[in-house]
Amino acid sequence: MKAKEYWNPYVAGVILGLVLLAAYLVAGNGLGATALPKRSLALVGSQMAPEWTAQNTVLKSYVADGASPLRNWLVVEVIGVILGGFLGAMSAGRLARKVEKGPNISVRGRLTYAMAGGVTMGFAASLARGCTSGQALSGGAGLGTGSWVFMLMVFAGGYSVAHLVRRQWT
Amino acid sequence: MSGAIFPLTFPTDDLRLLTGILIGFGFGFVLERAGFGNARKLAGQFYLNDMTVFKVMFTAILVAMVGLYGLASVGMVDMSMIWINPTFIPAQAVGGFLLGIGFIMSGLCPGTSVVSMVSGRIDGWVTFVGIFLGIALFTLTVDWVPGLHSLYLAGSGEVSLLHEVMGVPALVLALVMVAGAVLAFVGAEKVEAIFQAKRSPVELSPPSRPGIKLAMGGSLALLAVITLTAGSPSPDTTPVPLASMAPLSLAESLIERQAGILILDLRADPEAERGIPGAVAGTDPVAVEALLSGMPEGTTVVVFDESGTITHAPPDWPGSLEYRFLEGGLFGWQEEVLTPLELWGSSLAERERVQRQNQISAFFSGAAVQNSSVAAPPAMMPAGGGGKKPKAGGC
Repeated sequence: MKAKEYWNPYVAGVILGLVLLAAYLVAGNGLGATALPKRSLALVGSQMAPEWTAQNTVLKSYVADGASPLRNWLVVEVIGVILGGFLGAMSAGRLARKVEKGPNISVRGRLTYAMAGGVTMGFAASLARGCTSGQALSGGAGLGTGSWVFMLMVFAGGYSVAHLVRRQWT
Repeated sequence: MSGAIFPLTFPTDDLRLLTGILIGFGFGFVLERAGFGNARKLAGQFYLNDMTVFKVMFTAILVAMVGLYGLASVGMVDMSMIWINPTFIPAQAVGGFLLGIGFIMSGLCPGTSVVSMVSGRIDGWVTFVGIFLGIALFTLTVDWVPGLHSLYLAGSGEVSLLHEVMGVPALVLALVMVAGAVLAFVGAEKVEAIFQAKRSPVELSPPSRPGIKLAMGGSLALLAVITLTAGSPSPDTTPVPLASMAPLSLAESLIERQAGILILDLRADPEAERGIPGAVAGTDPVAVEALLSGMPEGTTVVVFDESGTITHAPPDWPGSLEYRFLEGGLFGWQEEVLTPLELWGSSLAERERVQRQNQISAFFSGAAVQNSSVAAPPAMMPAGGGGKKPKAGGC
């Protein structure tokens, strides 16, 4: 089965903007992606080392109220992303177990880059208190000053090293 | 704010959480259909042969921005209940730069790695696991790497809004950004065309059909009209010009103890020189606004400074009062009211006026008045509402 073509970027942008607006109007906050891993970590920490977790600079706010760290709108929202992404790919005929890479790099090489990039992003998103979804997209629409700084720096960081890692895409 | 219906309130927290599933579903579905489950397509943004990331992201940001601040401007959204990311400039700048580096290494960002993962992409799975490890790494090191800890906490940590920093209404800034984005989109199409000749993209998003272009253009025009009528120039930003009042007529009304007059001393230093009896010092704008909003409707407010240069009222003073500025300010008052006139050379008709003025002058300068039909200077103005406690917060 041939996959459906992608949506026109501007149409997709308008719909994504309306989804983001709905998040603000319904829940009072924007969208996010790193809340699930962050709060999962808080859950694990609160089970294994409750005192350390309660004092950790990052985790303490997630366990402060005594409720489960996973009982949070942004966590539930990421579960929605999992479902929506899956159904989107399935209905478009794009479900496939494969590695996206250029022809000039091995699978092992590509996955090493993916891992290194993932670790870097997890570290960076923790430091910046949000990722491309929570800071750039949501905070950008909310006109947060720091979020716009973050967004410009994401593009600056990406363009500054793109040439060095071009081997995996071309 | 009364009348605001957003953000919605829910009878139970569970019900609110449930909306997360629906909205998240929409988020994931749109990301997948835009092509963001594919690392190669996302990476194209950084090699300039596929600018889909930029187009989708900025369109979405602007749609949500205009929607949010547009609804807030008509009072439908209580912005104090909307969570906007607080600003920690150093952490956000360094974190953003690092995240950009990670983005081009894995070809995915945290949100799109989830979509890639559930589409079956192994690089998506690996990226997602990496993000988990990176978060754990930061969490474990933040408290014992001193530099990291202070970098994480540096900055104000307050909600700083871009339009407030720039001093313009949010919708005006949004309109400028929309105009900028339209130019940038046209530029992005051209850049793509150039770089696609060098290196063909993974899988192109379909080009914009005329219907899409027309719809985008139409909504932009509509947005511009709405912003220009609703966003600017609102009466909130322009000072209100005032009618003048002659010092003598102010003096007359003071002597007659006319009710409903408030005299505001707007000199930078009201203590510097003896002012007008009963005047209230107006050095603190907040206190002045609170005082004014507590005054009964129709009160005449006379403002004065050293020489009558203040001829406009700030826009946020309540509109239910009448405002006048004193001609010549305190200097005019001293010249006209406190300085007696000479009787010599005046015509008979003028004499009465001159005598009257000298009575006034004597009244305010404290000299002996022979034929005094008037009482001592009023101790406290205004008669109308001076004793009333000003409402806190004003309008």
